[in-house]
Amino acid sequence: MSSIYPASDKRVGLDELVSHVKDGDWLAMGGGLSSREPMAAIRALIRAGRKGLKVVGSAHGIDIDLLCGAGAVAHTAESYVGFEQDFGMAPNYRRACESGAIEVADSCCYTVVQQLRAAAYGVPFLPVRSMRGTSFEAMHPEYLPMTCPFTGDELLLVPALQPDVALIHAQYGDAHGNLRIEGPPVADILSARASKKVIATVERIVTNDELQKLGGANVPYFYVAAITEVAMGAHPTACYPFYAYDRPHTARYYEAAKAGADAFRTQYLVPYVLDCADQAAYLARIGGETTQARLASWNEGTEAWQQLYAEVA
Amino acid sequence: MAVHCTLGEAMIYTLARTIEDKTLVFHGFGSPLVQLAMHVAKRTHAPDMVLVAGATYGLNPRPPFLTPTSNDWVLDRSAEACLDIEELFDLGASGRIGRMFLSGLQIDRFGNANVTRLGRDSLDTKLPGGGGGCNLSCDVERITLWTTAHRSMPDRNGKRRYRIVEQCDFVTSLGHHGVDGRTRTQLAHRGKGPQWLVTELGLFDFDASGHLRLCALYPDTTLDQVAESTGFPLVVADKLGTLPLPGAEVIAIIRALDPLGVHVKELQLPDRARRFSDAVFMNTLNTSDAIQ
Repeated sequence: MSSIYPASDKRVGLDELVSHVKDGDWLAMGGGLSSREPMAAIRALIRAGRKGLKVVGSAHGIDIDLLCGAGAVAHTAESYVGFEQDFGMAPNYRRACESGAIEVADSCCYTVVQQLRAAAYGVPFLPVRSMRGTSFEAMHPEYLPMTCPFTGDELLLVPALQPDVALIHAQYGDAHGNLRIEGPPVADILSARASKKVIATVERIVTNDELQKLGGANVPYFYVAAITEVAMGAHPTACYPFYAYDRPHTARYYEAAKAGADAFRTQYLVPYVLDCADQAAYLARIGGETTQARLASWNEGTEAWQQLYAEVA
Repeated sequence: MAVHCTLGEAMIYTLARTIEDKTLVFHGFGSPLVQLAMHVAKRTHAPDMVLVAGATYGLNPRPPFLTPTSNDWVLDRSAEACLDIEELFDLGASGRIGRMFLSGLQIDRFGNANVTRLGRDSLDTKLPGGGGGCNLSCDVERITLWTTAHRSMPDRNGKRRYRIVEQCDFVTSLGHHGVDGRTRTQLAHRGKGPQWLVTELGLFDFDASGHLRLCALYPDTTLDQVAESTGFPLVVADKLGTLPLPGAEVIAIIRALDPLGVHVKELQLPDRARRFSDAVFMNTLNTSDAIQ
C-alpha cells in the first residue's frame, strides 16, 4: 500500500532526512550518470552506517559506486552503473559484484519503468514484449511468459517493484515538500509515484509562490516525507543551473577507487565522506568557494563551459 | 601527402551512413562516435530524421560541443522538446523508433551483444550493464552495432580474448538468434534486429541466416587482420568493398562539434594515431559502396 504525507512543514536536517532509510530498504536513486544524483544524502547515509540496501534504477554512476565502496549495498537491480567511456567501469560496484558481496540482478531501463509503473498504478505486474530470447529471462525467474488473451502475442510479465524510498535531489522545493526538477527528470518523477516515500534534498527551499513563478512543482508534496536544503547537494555530479559536473573531482575519485578497496578507503571514503561531519565540512574539503565558483562558471558562455571539461595536464 | 581524416572520423561517417532520413533515431549514453554520427546525418543526408539524444532525451538538440558524459545540459541545448524515460521507451515498445546503436564487450556471430558479465555460468567479470539496450534491441526497427575494440592481440601465452566472439557469455541485447534456441522471427519481436556492425577494422552486414558477414574494409585494413581478430571463421561477402571516407563537409561538422576530442577516448590507443591521406581519400571515391 502507498501512503501520503500531508504534513505542512517537512523541513529537517540532513541526518534526520536519511534516517527515513532503514537497513535493507529498496532504494530508487534520483538523477543519473553525471547529473543531479543525491550525493550529499548518500554521504550522510554512509556516515549513518546504513547497510544491506537494495538499489534499482536506470543509468547510474558515482552514486551507486560510492555506496558500494562503503559496503552499504546488498542487491542491485540497476541497468547500468559506470562512468561511460570517459573513465570506464565502476570499480567499487564491480568489486562488490565480483566478490559476491552484492546479489547481482541487473535490469533494463524499460523493465524498470514497467516495474515502477506497476507499483505506481497499484497493479501487481505489467507486460513487456521485449527481453524474450535474452539471458535476462534466466537471471530473473520471477519474470513470467504469457500469451495475450486478446491478440495471442507473446509477452513477458514483470512484477511491480515498490521502492521503500525514492531519494531525490532537486533544484528547488518548498517547506511543504513540493519539488521542482529542472532539466532531464530521468526516472525521478516515476520513482516518486512508485515509492512508499520520497525524501529530498534541494539546492534552495523557496516559498510556494516562488516555486510557482519558477514554473511549478513536478513532484507534488504529498509524495514527499521530508526535505532538506543542501546547497551543492549533488556534487560532484551536476545540478544546473547552479553548477556543472566536477570532472576533476570525479577523476580523483576514480583513481582512488581503481587503486583498490583499501586505497579507496584512505584516499576518498575517509577524507571526503567519513571525516566530513556535514555538508559544510565537505564543501571546505573540496575547495570551498573557489570550487563552487569554478563549477558555476558554465553560465559565462560556451568557452567557459567547455573549459570545465578540458583534459587537465 | 596531406592528412585527410582520422580513423575516428571515418568510423563516424560509416555509422552516419547507416541512418535513413525521416526515421526516429536514438543513441544511448557513453557513445560519442554515435552521437557525432547522428549529428552528421541530421546535418547532411537525413535532415528530417528525429534525433533523440541519449540520457537527456532532447529532440533535435544543437549542442555547442560534445561533453565527456551524456547527461549534461550542454547536450540538450536548443532541443525542440524533451522526453522523459517512460515516453522514450514507450516509443520503442510501440514501434516508433527506427534505429538504435548498440555495442558490447562481446558481440557474437548472430549479433547478440553482452555488456552484463563475463563468465557463462558464473560471474567472472561484472560489466557495467546495458541500460535499456536489451529492451530496445527487441523493439527498435533496425540496429546498428558498433565496437572500437575488434582488434584482438595475443597475450603472453599467445591466447587471444576476442571482442567478436562465437557465442556471448550473456546475451544482454538480442541479435538474430535467442538463447532459447529460437530465431528472432520465431520470437516475433517488433524489431528486425542488427543490420550493420561497424568496427575499427571493417564493416559487416548479416546474411540470410542472421550471421555476421564482412562486407567492407578500411583502406588500411586487410582481410587477414579481420580474420585473426575474429573469434569464428569469417563469412565474407562476394564483393568485398573499401569503406568510403568522409568529405570535407562531414569532417568540418565533426571537428566543430567535438573540439575536446571526446570521441577519441572511445578509440583504442593504436587507433588514435590512424590517419588517411588525401590520396587515399581520392582513391576510395571510386570504390563500390557497401551501404546502399
